[in-house]
Amino acid sequence: MSAQNVVFLFVLTLAAGIFSLNVQRLVSYLRIGLPENRTDNPGWRFLNVLRIGIAQTKILREPVAGLMHATIFWGFIVLTAGTVEIFVQGAWNGFSYERVLWHPFYVVYAASQDTFAIFVLAAVAFAFYRRLVVHPKRLEGDDIEHLDAYIILGLIAGLMVTLLFANAFLSIIQPDAVGPEKFIAHALAAPFQGLSPHAARGAQLVFWWAHVLLVLIFLNYLPYSKHLHVVTSLINVYFSNTSWRGERAVMRPMDLEADTETFGASDVEQLTWKNLLDGYSCTECGRCTAACPANITGKVLSPRKIVVNTRQRLMERGPIATGDTMAFFGLDLAHGEGKDATASLGDGPAAHRLLDTYITEEELWACTSCRACVQECPVSIDQLDIINQMRRNLVLTESRFPAEIQPAFEALERNGAPWAFDAADRGRWADGLGISTMADLAARGERPDALFWVGCMGSFDDRAKKITVAFARILQACGIRFAILGQEEHCHGDPARRMGNEYLYQMLARDTIETLNRYSVTTVVTACPHCFHQIGNEFPQLGGQYEVIHHSTYIERLLQQELVPLRTDEGRRLTVAYHDSCYLGRYNDIYDAPRETLRRALPVVTLVEPPRSRDRGLCCGAGGGRMWMEERQGKRINIERTEELLATGADTIAVACPFCMTMMSDGVKAKESSVPVLDIAEVVAGQLS
Amino acid sequence: MKIAVCIKRTPDSETRFRINSAGSAIDESGVKFDMDDFASYAVEVALQMKEKAGSGEVVVIAVGPDSVQETLRKAMSMGADRAVQLKADAIPFDGLAVAKALAAELKSGGFDLALFGKHAFDTSEAVVGTATAELLDIACVTAASKLEIANGKGSARRELEGAAEMVEFSLPAVVTIDEGIARPRYPSLKGIMAAKKKPLESKPAQLGASRVTVKGMALPPDRPAGRIVGEGTAAVAELVRLLQTEAKVL
Repeated sequence: MSAQNVVFLFVLTLAAGIFSLNVQRLVSYLRIGLPENRTDNPGWRFLNVLRIGIAQTKILREPVAGLMHATIFWGFIVLTAGTVEIFVQGAWNGFSYERVLWHPFYVVYAASQDTFAIFVLAAVAFAFYRRLVVHPKRLEGDDIEHLDAYIILGLIAGLMVTLLFANAFLSIIQPDAVGPEKFIAHALAAPFQGLSPHAARGAQLVFWWAHVLLVLIFLNYLPYSKHLHVVTSLINVYFSNTSWRGERAVMRPMDLEADTETFGASDVEQLTWKNLLDGYSCTECGRCTAACPANITGKVLSPRKIVVNTRQRLMERGPIATGDTMAFFGLDLAHGEGKDATASLGDGPAAHRLLDTYITEEELWACTSCRACVQECPVSIDQLDIINQMRRNLVLTESRFPAEIQPAFEALERNGAPWAFDAADRGRWADGLGISTMADLAARGERPDALFWVGCMGSFDDRAKKITVAFARILQACGIRFAILGQEEHCHGDPARRMGNEYLYQMLARDTIETLNRYSVTTVVTACPHCFHQIGNEFPQLGGQYEVIHHSTYIERLLQQELVPLRTDEGRRLTVAYHDSCYLGRYNDIYDAPRETLRRALPVVTLVEPPRSRDRGLCCGAGGGRMWMEERQGKRINIERTEELLATGADTIAVACPFCMTMMSDGVKAKESSVPVLDIAEVVAGQLS
Repeated sequence: MKIAVCIKRTPDSETRFRINSAGSAIDESGVKFDMDDFASYAVEVALQMKEKAGSGEVVVIAVGPDSVQETLRKAMSMGADRAVQLKADAIPFDGLAVAKALAAELKSGGFDLALFGKHAFDTSEAVVGTATAELLDIACVTAASKLEIANGKGSARRELEGAAEMVEFSLPAVVTIDEGIARPRYPSLKGIMAAKKKPLESKPAQLGASRVTVKGMALPPDRPAGRIVGEGTAAVAELVRLLQTEAKVL
């Protein structure tokens, strides 16, 4: 063993040792979070890693930046094989895969190294160009964040250059060791062919060591950088929420009887280890924030900031909570978008917490719960889960919330609707329509095919009542035996849950489940995506199991079975822009049913799509309890969305949600447009023969 | 400081009331009951005083059947320290009877201050607070829209028609609370859980004889539909005539 081998092994051991200590620290910080089981379905989790992680499917949703990243990522995987070879060489002079690999395979490997090194260099150059010239809005951040990005890109470029030159000089001193497949190395070596063997040997050593040291420096830089995601993101994807559609958007179950003083999360200890791992995995790419309707329209909320702040606070709290004395330099992953309000709490980590110090109430209440951030995150971070847990803390522990939602809470408690309507008026829309209530049927010993769950909007809101009547007319025209609960229906509590009031939610939800079970309800149809999601996907947490079908799917099926008596209107042309509801679309993957309903009911229709559509659709602004809150900051979300829909030039805007209906109707009115906003049920009912 | 807050359980104001078949009371089926709004302002004022002082006790008291325990628990979930139910078969309509029961309880309590709502949403008599003060022979300030207590003395602001009156009084005293003085807090789950463990004492109400009975109840007549008297300037004369002869407001 030469002296060089000894030095190499010493450096390697030292670097690996420091990295390992840092990893242990980071893991120990995760342990201060709450437990959560994320080890079920290993097969499905592994597939997710292949799909989202290795195949980069979510990264590639943005074609240009996506391809840039995927090139660097795939290059990283390919070139890591080369790094391993180089490290073995460090311990065992003259080692090459050529000695152990089947020759054709070795040739492919060797060629892949030079090819990907060039691809990666090109991608890094493009990344510099984007950051220095293009300045995409979503990559804005503080100086440390920018410096971090430049250091990372510089290190990657350095690795490529040193690798190529080490091979280039090796090809001069040992022509046999570098085959023609390493074409770049040969090209780079050409100008240096006249060099003395001694000088060439020296240059090769310098580049070889530079490459090895850069790898080790990079490795140890990771725990201090957003680039830690190279280690954590695949792990994060593995442990991410792998539930099926609908279920994945369910709010975390909560035990209200737990013997605790704190509900929800005000600090990192009350988040789960997975929420904290999300912080380690965030690359600050800002795709979440770029898709956030609140952020787009100028509100303080930035989902990226929520995650980065969680990490920042963990870096502050972790060492204290674990008694870690090794938090050297105090720089580890702590950069981000800054604290918010330290003044009121006094200074010093002991007086800090995640809520207030890092994340303000205002940010949390700005969220419409549309899930665009969760949808866009390339490494499966769940920003919404953190927001929801913190809202719960505000309401359940501290009773802090915007004053305007208190009447909604009180009305839910007293009247069973988020508005102060008399519960006795709930079934009034059905007067004279010949619609049975469940109580009527039960008295006659009958059971309907389906319960029509009307919802609070559909029962009380004058505009939404027209949707209710339209859907009821379709059901009647198709001869469906259905019934309503009438006075016995009340809110299932979803708005309360989304606004953090889990206590009120569970009261209302348990009561609703009792009513549904009393009538042995099995099938529920509803025109409200919020009711659809809540009863279908969240009630099972409380023991309520029903088949719930949204009216878009239900009507589509009726049309498909040709049960709907439709008149034809030849000669008419109609251009319709359909607005996706978040609780139908991103929550439940229902994108096609409402569009198909329109197509089938109106053979003359041309559907036009706004630029933000389907799983990229923009929220109407009413979700997550925003319906009951004033929008005081920035542009109104519904105006932004209405403008997009009107810009398609459509004659009609179609929606499939009473909340979207209110927001889009208000938007159209505000824009002084005469384009009608119709629910898909109204479109179909208008075609009944 | 020891503050008593006398609260009442009343029907929710959003309810569309029906009268029972005997015509003597409202039909309570389907009607939601909650703490009276004015009572909830009084609870909030008491809690804020205690918080400002950093010490003291807030005791909530209600007369009525066991259903009032729910209302008392709500006050405790807002932050009141303990509760007393003065048990009666029903909440008497006669304010004086209720005042006698409350005075008997307050007399032995050693309270510095007793707060009431200005009046209750259901009976709107505005009599219980004043009658209680009279029975206890202590100062009484009604309809306070601001209240401060310092050095054993109190000062309050009372809204009058077109003016305001500032009064000073000595303790112990009864103060009835007007709206606008404070926004009642929404109980946190933490508060709700804590309230389950707080003491709620139940004892028979020493009601005085009720000298008021309800003989009958009637809903106000439906408002007649609006009438269009015409259009344009021609309608003005007719409108003026109707306002003079029918509505008699001109």
